[in-house]
Formats: sequence, structure tokens, C-alpha cells
Amino acid sequence: MSTGAHGAPDHAGGLATMLGITARIQRRNALLWVLVLGASMVGTAAGVASLYDTPAKIYSYAAAVTTGNALLAINGKVEGIDSLGGVIQDEFGFMASFLLPLLGIALVARATRREEEAGRLELLLGGRIARHEPTLAALLVATATITVTAVLFAVGLAVSGVAVAGSILYASSLGALAFVFAGLAALLAQLTRHARDVYLWCVMALAASYVLRGVGDTTRTWVGWLSPLGWAEKAAPFGAQRWWTLAIPVAVGLAFGGAAVALAARRDLGSALAGGGVGPQHASPALRSPFGFAAWLHRPAILGWLAGGVLLGGMMGALSKQLLGAMAGNPALAQAMGIAGGQPLDGFVAATQLYLAVIAAGYVVQAFGTLRAEEADGRLETRLSGTLTRIRWLATHTLVVLGGLIIVVLVSSLVLGLATAVSVGNLAELGPTLASGLAYLPAELVFAGLALALYGWRPRLFFIAWAGYAVATFIAFLGPGLKFRQWVLDVAPTTHVGNPPLGTAQPAALIVMAVIALVLAAVGCAAFRGRGVPQG
Amino acid sequence: MTTADFVIRTEGLRKVFGKVRALDGLDLAIRQGEVHGFLGPNGSGKSTTIRVLLGLMKATSGRAELFGRDPWANAALLHHRLAYVAGDVALWPALTGGQCLDVLGATHSGVNKRRRADLIQRFDLDPTKRVRDYSKGNRQKVALIAALAADAELLVLDEPTSGLDPLMEQAFQECVRGRRQDGATVLLSSHIMGEVEALADRVSIIRRGRTVTSGTLAELRSRTRSTVHAVTAREPDGLAGAEGVADHHTERLDGHVDSRFTIDTGHLDAVIGRLHAAGIHTLTVTPPSLDALFLRNYEKSPTPDEADGDVVAAEAAS
Repeated sequence: MSTGAHGAPDHAGGLATMLGITARIQRRNALLWVLVLGASMVGTAAGVASLYDTPAKIYSYAAAVTTGNALLAINGKVEGIDSLGGVIQDEFGFMASFLLPLLGIALVARATRREEEAGRLELLLGGRIARHEPTLAALLVATATITVTAVLFAVGLAVSGVAVAGSILYASSLGALAFVFAGLAALLAQLTRHARDVYLWCVMALAASYVLRGVGDTTRTWVGWLSPLGWAEKAAPFGAQRWWTLAIPVAVGLAFGGAAVALAARRDLGSALAGGGVGPQHASPALRSPFGFAAWLHRPAILGWLAGGVLLGGMMGALSKQLLGAMAGNPALAQAMGIAGGQPLDGFVAATQLYLAVIAAGYVVQAFGTLRAEEADGRLETRLSGTLTRIRWLATHTLVVLGGLIIVVLVSSLVLGLATAVSVGNLAELGPTLASGLAYLPAELVFAGLALALYGWRPRLFFIAWAGYAVATFIAFLGPGLKFRQWVLDVAPTTHVGNPPLGTAQPAALIVMAVIALVLAAVGCAAFRGRGVPQG
Repeated sequence: MTTADFVIRTEGLRKVFGKVRALDGLDLAIRQGEVHGFLGPNGSGKSTTIRVLLGLMKATSGRAELFGRDPWANAALLHHRLAYVAGDVALWPALTGGQCLDVLGATHSGVNKRRRADLIQRFDLDPTKRVRDYSKGNRQKVALIAALAADAELLVLDEPTSGLDPLMEQAFQECVRGRRQDGATVLLSSHIMGEVEALADRVSIIRRGRTVTSGTLAELRSRTRSTVHAVTAREPDGLAGAEGVADHHTERLDGHVDSRFTIDTGHLDAVIGRLHAAGIHTLTVTPPSLDALFLRNYEKSPTPDEADGDVVAAEAAS
């Protein structure tokens, strides 16, 4: 997967230098990605292997998830699902279809347009680095990271007892998937002016790929072949094993990457296809007020996470009738989805609400991270050099973030409830759906409290909020299915909510979590009042 | 002079970050209505001093007063009376320049709309462009316009002209003079000597978190040596050994005597008398430039202790 042939011989020294610089910049980031991805895959594989340790159990799983189209749309169509590898592919399918493209996108966007936008690329190109070399180096470092990830996948799968050939093909197909998006990001980095736009267009391409793959799988047509996610799936590592399909993503990724390198060699530094527009000469009265300004600042995070919640809620709601039908005909499916008991609809809503709670918690952590960015980038210093007091600034932002949280939770739950109502034909589930969404608020507030406390006390340690979020998410998603011990499950705040509407929300636990959140927030505010601004 | 006449006053100000002593007993006094040049090399503590004065950071020890009050305890209240341009101008990339001006203006106690429009024209800023599409100089202009358009008694400017071209530098100097005429006090942190020389009534030079020297430019100059170049008809009598003279060189050129030396300002009169007696043909006396003052305060003193010694020596000589 190397594009090294592009390096002109007389610039070999320049490329080597550029590779060193890129590798140094990306080192920590790449290592984090490899570790998180490797751990998720190995964790999933080990969990599945211990849970489905007999052919009979695997067979019942396969029979369950192949009933109906709903799971096909979400996890993808897994050929050879009646094998250990197939079950792992199905379980990991949803996560893999987002995480691997994001790996390629993040690694490349960070090392190309973001560096150019920050003006650091100019510094390098003033030296003996040729214009195309930063892009080439970014692609090579991304490719190396992807390769390491794929090797880790293959080894992890093989160690868990999956057939070696299938493991290698599956890991390669996932690596090739990441490679396509790395190439796409490199190309978009040449065409757009800002790193933000690279991410935006790449994520839209990813969403389109996901939809195309889903349509192709459920309609059983050629549409899936239009999607990079479809290519990975058609490799069928635990079924027909079509090794030749790997050539498609590799060729497309090389074409994207080659075009990006060629464009980088030809275009002016800082130029882009899409130019910058003009905007208003004056700020609206809303933007001038602290509250309106905070709302403006958090709007992208609110809308982004809300879109995720609405999409998930709408999709799950729309599929609810199919899933209920499939579960009625096959009790094993309910078990595979982690839904037990005699109220399949409540169980289904409860499972979806947990996903929505994870989205809402991600939103609050990111929103408080925005405050940290305001300070680290130096804008807070200017903001607080006027008549706005610190405490008013922090309180205003906290209120806006919490308002956004309520919007995200209520609208996602409402969409889930309405889509379910349309799908099953009555409104009976709407009330319980909204109530269960609100029941998760205290758990989400614990994340808000933790983020606020870290920001107020030591903004440099804010990454702990993200680490906590990652751990809690992993436990919430995979813990019950993989039968983690109770004390591990208890680490995630969402565990204590009580799994409504299937279970009953636990008022005592909700109050305790709300109090913890309040104490953490108070600590954060007090610490912020007493510390110097700015802290990097 | 009473405390009330000082807009800014610090005494023995210290600020410690972990093991780093950013400020180590800094004294600063800025009178109402003056433009005060605040000079020091990179990392000498200028920005930290300003952040303490704005109540953004709390001093480890020592006293800091802004308008006679503690800035840490009364930050937002005192900010009603001032406008600030940070050393690293950071704005919101998604807003236009005009929107940024209004957002910044909203945290000032008042904005002079006519002056805002006038400044936009003078600094040749396109307020409809997004900040992310601005050059560094244009971002700097936004921050400057916001501060200069504010109805503020005090302007705190931390290296405000880095990134501006000479034309804009000129416009900046005119605007600062205009604000001073309106009665505003200006704290101008800078290491562009020409700018400080052109604008400042008084100057404080700091090094490693301590005030090295402070005073009007004339005072500072009088503490250091002027360079004299004289062409006389005869050899001046006893010049080499005269009090206050150093670096003396002399040579005969075309029947004249060409002398070059440096002199303590306090002994200038006596020496000029000796030159006069020898029949002056041409005479130039060059006072030290701010550059020279600045370099003198740093070059010769690699450690703070020596720097102190240097100041004492200079003061004893004056």
C-alpha cells in the first residue's frame, strides 16, 4: 500500500526529513488510535470467543441475527456468520464501519490541511522540503499506522481462535477501508481551505457510504458495490473469501492519494478550490450578549451530536416493527441484542436509549472541551479582559451546555418515540420513551460535572474526561453482552440508571448521581475563580 | 504625588509558576495621562505583569494596584475603565472582522461608533472578511481597532504592532497620540524602540521579572553616555584625563585635530569648554538612542546581580 514511488530521487533527503517530522507530530495520536482500535477488536474477539464457545451457540446466534433486514442495515450482511469469525465480524461491524474510516481521516487531515492552515507548512516548505512531500509523508505515516492496526487485528483474531486465512483477509479488508478514507482526506485537504471542512466532507462521504451499504444489503442489489464499506463486506473473510476485492479499495485509495500528491505539487500554498466568502459587518445583538455568544459557540457541537442522536433514534424507531417481528419469531435474537424479558418493545427502546445516552454524554464532554480550546487558543484572555466576570462567563456557558444537553436528549428521544410509533402503529411507547431519555440526564450530568471540574481545576488534564468517557462507553456497550463483572459495570454511570423503560429508573441512584455532578461542578467553579488565565 | 494619581502601581510584584520566577520584585508606576513604554526582551515578564494588572492572574506576593484598587478582587469592575490588546491576538475564526469588533466591544463599557468607523478606514480593514481568512496583520488590526474605539481611560497594549506594516505603524502612532490627547493613559509594551521613542513619555525597562530602570527618556539618557565627535584647530587641553571622558581617540587630519570620545552627560559642560578653548571647527554630540539604552541594560549584565550593579553605577554617575 505504499506510494513511495512518487518520491523523486534528488529529493529523497527531503522526504526522509518530512517523514520524520510527520511521524514525530503524529506519534502520540497514532499510538492512541492503534491501542484503542486494537483493544476494541481484541476485546470483542475474546468476549465473543468465550461467550459463543460451542458450534450450537454460534448457530443460534447466526439464526437470530439473519432474521429480517433490520440488523442487516445496522451491522451489515456478514457472509459466513455461522462461524466464530462471522460472529465477531457482525458484533464489531457497527463500530468498525465508523472507527476505521475515522482513523484514516484523522491521521491525514491532521498532518496536511491543519498544518497548512496553522502556517507551519509554510515554515517547512521554506526549507528543503518539496511541495508534494508533506502530503506524501502524511499518507505514508497513515498507511504505516493502518498497517500496524491491521496486523494487530489479524493477530488478535487468530489468537482468539479464528481461522488464520479469514483473520488476515478480515484485517486486510478493514485496513483497506481505512486506506480509502486516508486517500480521500488527502485529496480533500488539497481542495478545501480549512481542516474543519476536510473532516466535514469526509464524514459526509462516510455517512453516504453507510447508507449505500445498508441499502445494498437490505435490497440485495449491486448498490452496495458503490460503497467502500460494501467493498470491505464483499471480501467475505469468513464466507467465500474474495481476496480480489481488496484490489478495489487499494486502487481507489492510491488514485485519491496520487491525485492529492499531484495537486499538492502543482497548487499554491494556502490555495483551495473553494474560496472564503464574506459575511456581515456587524454582530447581531444576540451575538453581543454573553448568553447569545455562548449559544453561538456551542451550536456546532449541539447540532452535530443532535444529528447523530436523531439519525440513530429515527433509524432504530423505523426498524422497530421489523425487529419486534424478528424477535417474536426467534427468542435468541432478543438475547443476542441484550434484550430479555417479556416486553420486547420496552427492551428495544431501553437498548436504544443507552446509545442515545452515550451520544449525549459525548456532547457534554466536547462542549466543555470547547471552553478549554477557547482558553488554550488565547481567546478567553481577551474575553475576560472586559466587563464580563469570570463566574458569569463560566455560568453562562454551563447553562448553554446544559440547555443543549436537554435539547439533544429530548429531540433524540422524541424522534425515537415518534418513529417507533409510526413503525408499530400506536403512540403507547412515546411517553415511556421520553421519560427514559430524561432518566439518563443525571448520568450525563456526571460527565458534565467531571468535565467542568477538570476544566476549572487543571485544564491540561482535560483528556481525563475523554478517557473516562471512552471507558464508560466501552463498558456500557459491550460490558453486559460480554458479561463483565458487576464492579466493572458499576464504573459506568449509565449502569446505575436502571435500564428504563424495560427496568425501572432508580430514583435514589439518580439523586446520588445528580449530587455528585453538582459537587463536581461546584469544585470546578471554585477552582476556576482562583486560578490564573490563561493556562495552556 | 498621591496614590490616586497613579493609574497603575506595583511594588515588589512576584509571580511564581512552579519553579519559574516570572516576576521577581517588579516595580512599576504609571501616572495618569502618560504613555508609558514597557520594555524588556522576550520572556522578561511583560505579559505576566499585564495579566496580573488585569486580574487574570494572581500575584504570588507584592502589591499591584489598578486605579488604586486590587485588580484580582475587582477585575471586571476595573475593566469598565480600560481596553486591552493581548500579545497573541486570538479571535474566533468563524466570525467576520466586523462581528469580532462588536463582540469585543460588547465587553467594553462603551464604544465610540464614529471612531470605530474612522479606525476601520484608517487601518484599511475589510470588516466583512472572516477572521480565518485574515493575515496576522489584519487580525492585529481588529484587536487594535476594538481597543482604540473603546471609551476607555486606560489602554493596555501588549506588543500591539507586531505584524503591522510601516504605514499601519504610522496610523497606530497617530491614533495613540490622539487618545492621549483625549486624556487616556497608555501602557505600551513593546520591543520596537522607534515606536516607544516616538510615543512614550516615560519608560520602564525590565529584565527577568525585575525593573532595571525607569524614567523619562531624557532622564534615562542623562544616566548614560553621549558620543562626541569634535574637529578642533588645536589639540584640546587635558581632554584624555578629564573627568567623565572615556573611549578617547584622537588623530591629526589636514592640520585639524579630530577627537572622538564618550562622555557622562553631567560632565558635558566642562568638556565642551575645553573643546571651545581649542577652537571648534565642527561638533556633534549624539545622545544615546533607546536602542543603545536597551542593549546597554542587557548586554553588559549576564546575571541579575550584575544588572543591579549596573543600575547603581549609572545612577551614581548621574
